[in-house]
Amino acid sequence: MADNDRPDVSTDRRKYMAALGAGIAAGVAGCSGGDGGDGGSTSSGDGGSDGSDGSGGDGGSTSSDGGSGSQWDTQLEVLHGWAGGDGEAAVNALIDAFKSEYPDMPTKFQAVGASANVNLNATILRRMVNGNPMSSFANWPGNNLERYRGNLMDLEADVWEAEGYKDVMQDRAVELCTFNDQIPAVPLGSHRMNNLFYNIAAFEEAGVDPESLNDMPSLMDALDAIKSETDIAPMGQAMVAPWTVLQLWAQVLQSQAGVDAYMNYIEGNGDRQAIVDSLELVKEIQQNYITNDASTSSFTDMGGKMIAGEVACMHQGNWLAGQFRTDDSFNFEEHWDWIPFPGTEGTYGYHIDAIVAPANNPSPEETIAWEKFVGTTDAQVAFNNLKGSVPLRTDVDSSQLGDFIALTYEDLTSSDRYPPTIAHGLAVTPEEMGNCKTAMSENMMGPYDVEAAADALLSAVSN
Amino acid sequence: MGTTDTTESTTPATEEVGWETKVRYFLNNDLVRSSPYWGIPFLLMGIAVYGGIGFNTAISLTDARGLQSPDYTNLDFEMYTQVFESSAFLSAAQNNLVLLVVFTTVCLLLGLFLAVLLDQGIRHENTVQTIYLLPMALSFVITAQVWLWLYNYDVGLMNIITRGIGIGPVDWIGNPSIALGSVIFALIWQFSGYTMVVYLAGLRSLPDDQFEAARVDGASTLTTYIKIIIPQLKEASVSAAVVLMVFALKAFTFLYSLTGRYRPPNGTDILATLMVRQAFKLGKWAYSAAIATYLLILALGVIAPYLYYQYRQGSL
Repeated sequence: MADNDRPDVSTDRRKYMAALGAGIAAGVAGCSGGDGGDGGSTSSGDGGSDGSDGSGGDGGSTSSDGGSGSQWDTQLEVLHGWAGGDGEAAVNALIDAFKSEYPDMPTKFQAVGASANVNLNATILRRMVNGNPMSSFANWPGNNLERYRGNLMDLEADVWEAEGYKDVMQDRAVELCTFNDQIPAVPLGSHRMNNLFYNIAAFEEAGVDPESLNDMPSLMDALDAIKSETDIAPMGQAMVAPWTVLQLWAQVLQSQAGVDAYMNYIEGNGDRQAIVDSLELVKEIQQNYITNDASTSSFTDMGGKMIAGEVACMHQGNWLAGQFRTDDSFNFEEHWDWIPFPGTEGTYGYHIDAIVAPANNPSPEETIAWEKFVGTTDAQVAFNNLKGSVPLRTDVDSSQLGDFIALTYEDLTSSDRYPPTIAHGLAVTPEEMGNCKTAMSENMMGPYDVEAAADALLSAVSN
Repeated sequence: MGTTDTTESTTPATEEVGWETKVRYFLNNDLVRSSPYWGIPFLLMGIAVYGGIGFNTAISLTDARGLQSPDYTNLDFEMYTQVFESSAFLSAAQNNLVLLVVFTTVCLLLGLFLAVLLDQGIRHENTVQTIYLLPMALSFVITAQVWLWLYNYDVGLMNIITRGIGIGPVDWIGNPSIALGSVIFALIWQFSGYTMVVYLAGLRSLPDDQFEAARVDGASTLTTYIKIIIPQLKEASVSAAVVLMVFALKAFTFLYSLTGRYRPPNGTDILATLMVRQAFKLGKWAYSAAIATYLLILALGVIAPYLYYQYRQGSL
């Protein structure tokens, strides 16, 4: 009986289900087809099986957007990691300037946020291995580009020579943007690494004269004075991740044993004794002079503590100034000030943010126009003034820059030495950097083992 | 002759029929007719889960790394032996095993305890139940940040408590020998409410007669629970254990949210974090695919004996 009235219903339902099934099949085929079609690679299954990959579809839509009749018929897609705070403001300024210069170009600027670019780098890697590259992306140049070896677009003729950027950019920026005999990147800005930021009131309370801090012993004395004279934690050190330990050690090594000792180390010829001595000092600082909650604190937490007057000084790249700048009650030269990390005067710890272009570029013409724009004075001033970094062009009028940035810009153009940063991709390859961080994570963040850390650091860069 | 009724729909094989009829018979077959209902989920499941496992295994047999497409011509188990040379892999595997076992066991025990307490007909039962269950509604991203504050050395609640009872402050996250314990504790806080609800449902389904019969026979409350009630909660235990293990594997999210990066606090590295670091930071696809396979084996290895036991008992 039930069978009698079923056929009608089930026919409809069957048709519906068949249609639904066909729809899903078509959708799946469309997705993986788009992926495979882009790169002609065998890895189209990658995109299909990767649940988190929303961007596969995005890539597919890029080519359908043109047709506006202008000379730009492909969408420019740029991935960057500046998803919040001063970084977001800076990149928005850059994007606005670009859009007013190229109003007809279809663009898609995507912020892939998270600290230390982890999500950004993972997204770039995944899309490139899936044969679905974007027009360009923000990344560190130098040895960091090792992870994209053989898959980068050469901009030397079309951007660098066409615009004469080799003459106006800093030589060492050109050098660091050169990789594998190509120039696949245009530098955007530079942060200075070797800084010691201090809270003026805290230093005054402890009777520390910042001008007198010119080597490691004087810094240690100052930390000791702050500890005994005040209730303020002498130094802020974020230890939720090992990169802060790695960069502090790099500064201590440069201060104690000289820039050459550091350069020898990153080239694989480190002096073990010098490394052990510098690690001993890092250990002494971290065991005696930093806040107790370091292991659960990020550098922005520590920056907050410095603003609140709970921490007297801290070492960090000058992106920290970006955090201070957003607090209206904490002003440069009134509440906080800055000295080069003691013992590194005349040195500019070198860091670069750059815009890198991958090979098999989906929009070569648009990418070239965009990369040319990144190198212009307007772009560099617009971005860096808000980011707290400094332009890498040598011909920028420093009156266009904010006060703190102008100071740093003068140092950028007039320092004696420019050691590349180890914790931010320039000095060593990604894998070596990972091993250096592991060395710090396992031996220098409690419990301490200086000898083991030295051996691990040396073997990390020995390849 | 009851059988003739059931064979009514299929024509006797002796009759010669044309291919159209055969196709029609085939299409009218129950299995085919019902295929839109079981077939689509089966297909999606097959592609998403088993296809994924198969693809992962295939990659793990290659030497794929960097931006080149995997080369499937030369397959071997090199990566599976290579991972054992890394001390990072061994300690991550050990941490993973500890996490799986301790987290699942403690959650089950604590959940059972809470369920038994709640089943005593206390006042505001539903409110209490909701309070225990609420942490599970929160995302790991939120609970990780909350626990980061709770574990803060200077101002965290945990250290206020330890100071209060005279142990003194503890560096919960910074000390590698207790960091894993701190993470497990936080996860237990989040998921014991779930086991409680599962067990509570199981307890509610038991007839009151059994309690009464046990009491008449002179069994104490403790004996009643251990000998009569808990053995009947096996199905609940299995389903809760499976779900908990899945969440233990998802501890990646919690660890990632603690630090905001792929390297978790020292001493809490698990296979999932190690795998993601190797794959998405360094592009060592084959190597990390091998780690992923070991992770799968580990998960299966932990649950398999229990599932087999349940199967022999006829509970599955």
